[in-house]
Amino acid sequence: MTSTPTRFAACAALSAALVLSACGTKGGGSGSSGPDAEGVRTGSGVTATDITLGVMTDKTGVFKNLGLGITQGNELWAKDINAAGGVCGRQVRLETVDHGYKADTAKTLYPQIEPKVAGFVQMLGSPVVAALKQNLLSDKAVAAPASWSSELLDNPYVMIVGTTYDVEMIDGLSYLQEKNLIADGDTIGHIYIDGEYGQNGLRGSKHYAGKHNLTVKEVKITSTDTDLTNIVTGLKGDGVKAILLTTSPPQTGSVAAVNKALGLNVPLLGNNPVFDPALLKSPAASALDKLHIVASSVPFSADLPKAKDVAAKYKAAYREPANGGVPYGYAVGEVWGTVLKKACENKDLTRDGIAKALKETTSAGTENLVAALDFSKPGAPATRQVYVAQPDPGAEGGVRYVKPLFEAAEARDYVAPHQK
Amino acid sequence: MSDVVAEKAAPPKIPSPARETGRGRWVRRLAWVALLLVLAALPLYLEAAWLKAGQYVMIGGVGAIGLTMLVGQAGQLSLAHAFFLLVGATGYTVLSGPADDERVFGLGLDPGLALVGAVLTAALLGLAFAPVAGRLRGIYLGVASLSLVFLGLYLGQSAEALTGGTSTGRTPAAFELFGFPFSNGGPEIELLGVPFRQAERTWYLFLVLTAVAFLLARGAVRGRVGRSWRAVRDNEAAATAMGVDVTRAKAGAFAVSSAYAGLAGVMTALWFDILKPDESEYGTYGINVSIAFLAMVIIGGLGSIPGALVGALIVHGLPQALALYSADLGLFGETGGSALTPALISSFVYGAAIVLVVLFEPGGLAAIGRRITSRGLSRKPPEEDPS
Amino acid sequence: MNTFLQLVVNGLGKGAVFALLALGFVVIFKATEVVNFAHGSLVLFGGYLVVVTRESLGWVGASLVGILSAALLALAVERLLLARARSADANSLALLTIGLDVIITEEVVRRLGVTLPFLGEAWDAQPIQIGGITLFRTHLVALAVSAVLITAFFLAFRYSDWGVAMRAQAENREAAALMGIRSSRVTATAWLVAGALAGVAVLFIATQDFSGAGLSRGTHSIALAAFPAAILGGLDSTAGAVVGGLVVGLAEALSAQYISFDFSKSAVFLVMLVVLALRPSGLFGTRESTRV
Repeated sequence: MTSTPTRFAACAALSAALVLSACGTKGGGSGSSGPDAEGVRTGSGVTATDITLGVMTDKTGVFKNLGLGITQGNELWAKDINAAGGVCGRQVRLETVDHGYKADTAKTLYPQIEPKVAGFVQMLGSPVVAALKQNLLSDKAVAAPASWSSELLDNPYVMIVGTTYDVEMIDGLSYLQEKNLIADGDTIGHIYIDGEYGQNGLRGSKHYAGKHNLTVKEVKITSTDTDLTNIVTGLKGDGVKAILLTTSPPQTGSVAAVNKALGLNVPLLGNNPVFDPALLKSPAASALDKLHIVASSVPFSADLPKAKDVAAKYKAAYREPANGGVPYGYAVGEVWGTVLKKACENKDLTRDGIAKALKETTSAGTENLVAALDFSKPGAPATRQVYVAQPDPGAEGGVRYVKPLFEAAEARDYVAPHQK
Repeated sequence: MSDVVAEKAAPPKIPSPARETGRGRWVRRLAWVALLLVLAALPLYLEAAWLKAGQYVMIGGVGAIGLTMLVGQAGQLSLAHAFFLLVGATGYTVLSGPADDERVFGLGLDPGLALVGAVLTAALLGLAFAPVAGRLRGIYLGVASLSLVFLGLYLGQSAEALTGGTSTGRTPAAFELFGFPFSNGGPEIELLGVPFRQAERTWYLFLVLTAVAFLLARGAVRGRVGRSWRAVRDNEAAATAMGVDVTRAKAGAFAVSSAYAGLAGVMTALWFDILKPDESEYGTYGINVSIAFLAMVIIGGLGSIPGALVGALIVHGLPQALALYSADLGLFGETGGSALTPALISSFVYGAAIVLVVLFEPGGLAAIGRRITSRGLSRKPPEEDPS
Repeated sequence: MNTFLQLVVNGLGKGAVFALLALGFVVIFKATEVVNFAHGSLVLFGGYLVVVTRESLGWVGASLVGILSAALLALAVERLLLARARSADANSLALLTIGLDVIITEEVVRRLGVTLPFLGEAWDAQPIQIGGITLFRTHLVALAVSAVLITAFFLAFRYSDWGVAMRAQAENREAAALMGIRSSRVTATAWLVAGALAGVAVLFIATQDFSGAGLSRGTHSIALAAFPAAILGGLDSTAGAVVGGLVVGLAEALSAQYISFDFSKSAVFLVMLVVLALRPSGLFGTRESTRV
């Protein structure tokens, strides 16, 4: 009789021997190739016929709607640019992985996708971007995070399409003051989600407050808090004249509802991600009239030729209800296209070449899906222009513009955390 | 009923380990050596992504070994494991962090020393909780220990000089031993055409740490310490009568278990290349993690050291493997409202595994394993034959 | 002063719902000595059935279905799983409920997808202002319903056959069995009642007034806060559950304002830890004695 452990040991030893001798190791083979016929040097993710860009998205986690929208925007762009002949004589391909908004999953998926791509046209989720920061640095891979924190800009390989949360807040406050909704010397409240997102928004409001002698009552919350009744109660006691929000949509709903319930009725100012059209169907809907949203990328239904074009193509290609991720995903694609064209002109499609081309990109146009972008200044946001919008149940996409692209003087002087 | 509570519902009886003799023992040893050899050879064949997944399992293994000693051997239910992971991760990052950083606090110690220091810090904090733990029993202790996770959440967010804050976190120093870095830097090494870079080097580091953790735990469980833990678990009053210092035994179990969690925390920080405190109670150091570790030790069999490793393989390995396979095979392509995801499937699997284990095999996979081996091996009835 | 009063009002309103949840823990614990970690998933399950049936049955009908199905799920858990694991002790069964909790919660959250349905149609987001203080209608209804249910429970506990049997069983299981009390019936009823309480609680939790969000994973987190409520009152004390619930509501509201909001979630757990360090069985719990 052979006992089980004996059998196990024999098997293990045998397989160990087999493994060591028989099969070849994983070694050998990669590395960048030399210049092609046109004299263009190529690297990871670039072949004679294709350029592959990575998409690390969330199709199944908490941001699956946004992730899906951005990914579809990316795909629409790839289709358009390939129809127009591609870049550098090559077709653009997308390699997509789903991390479900989990940093640990992203951390294992990254080594799998990284060797196959020239860079990342989408990297969704601030925990994911934070966890992969060192990898991007050591692999020199340019990535466009779907996160707009200027804290990320210490990484030269990060490409933020649009302005950053701090600048949004500064521009937004100047709008409130222009409309006489706040005045120098006022007290204002700022509720923010602790983390890259909220901290960055807070940095902006503090900057503006410093210039205008405002007192900011800061309240730190976490992403899972949804009942902000006690906070607004406290802010009412402090006599705030406005409440700033760097929060999630349900939190925005709570603040708006309590703002009305307590009879406080002050204007609310929020960063781009605070609003979701679903709020217009929640019990807080009737309290949203005080909300102002500042953003640098347009909503799905924006009244712009390019946005309408993307929207029409979207409806032809997909069945899901659209969101603001679609035009944004398309716009990121456009910026990537500009950078790749520049790299092609430089005859260098290696990772280094792409990073260099990014730095030389001073005016990436997206036909106003996002304000014109300048990536040449290390650490500085690529634009400081924003729109202001307000919720409107009548408008498609749920918001209407109240002020077109502008840049406040206070935003112009503002020095971002990693700005040189 | 108060009596019944006091009787304290010890986890299923884990027989005290005894030594086997003769052939069985050698076969066992040989099996372990072979397993170790295979694991040592894997970096030559596995892609970096799979190595990364394997390292994640080893993090789970180290943490679970610590927890199974506390819960299974000493009978102290703890949901605070994630807190001690955070302590270890923070401890390592602070101790090894550059001393001249103006944003965050660091002591600039050698990473090897920092690792030891972080483990000790976790152990000391575990010891500090012991007086409270000593007063509580069973489920009261479990829920009380949960408050440490919430404390960790708050401190992680507010002690920004240590943790770097939830905004950016901070980067832990790359691990180094006697000047050899476990990163892409340092000397270029190649074996059989395979370049040894961060993923491969870290694999060996983690493998050694896991092996050491395993051997120490087995030693403790088989020795006097283990006996005193089991005596306390089975009946405190009787243990006292037998001359066991109950308070000390409990405190010791807490310290040891916390030290293991601390080590797992150091490994977590190294694995992520970043220390980033959580933004909510669900995260890298949140309630979900405490529950995941508890799941590992229940599935593996409360008190069983090898069982803890198998539990880690299931609870930490499954989501990683599914995620990698889904990329390979195009599984889980479905998106939208109610898609099945690797994480979701793993949750179902380990949730169901817990239920099944409690219902049908309170000894967990370890008991099943024991039964199989003892049937094959020998004449000894399973009750006598140990882990 | 107005701020303080408003905070107390907010805290008591939420505390009433925490009391309902905590009472659910306590009922089960008294009958079986099992701490039900799956309570949060019962809450989610009840809420989910309200969402599913609301279209066809209307809000009232759907709410009844939700309460009933949470109760039946709890009963099923007890009959089909816990009752069959008689050999396992109370701690192992508590671990079993953790496994169940993971499964039920993940499945309900998966089915909810991206929707965050609100359940408080009848009274949500229609506050009443009285002399500078805002009373949230959801809180008022919750207080009234909790008062009625808790009173009913106390009366039943004291005077009904079930209550007597349950108290007997809680005192001494073996003696109760000898007196002819059918332990399984008492236990099953306890789970049924706890499930129904969870089903009622969710109607208040998934509202704009209470949680600011519809039914979601967050609803489960809120149910988690009822844990400290039950524990600090004393897991085997029904009066303790009510006090514990109110203490948690107030501690959360006041620490949010006077310490800091991010501390408030930890605050309730720290209050619990302090209470336990001083009184290991909670404020009103039965003292344990050691049996050799």
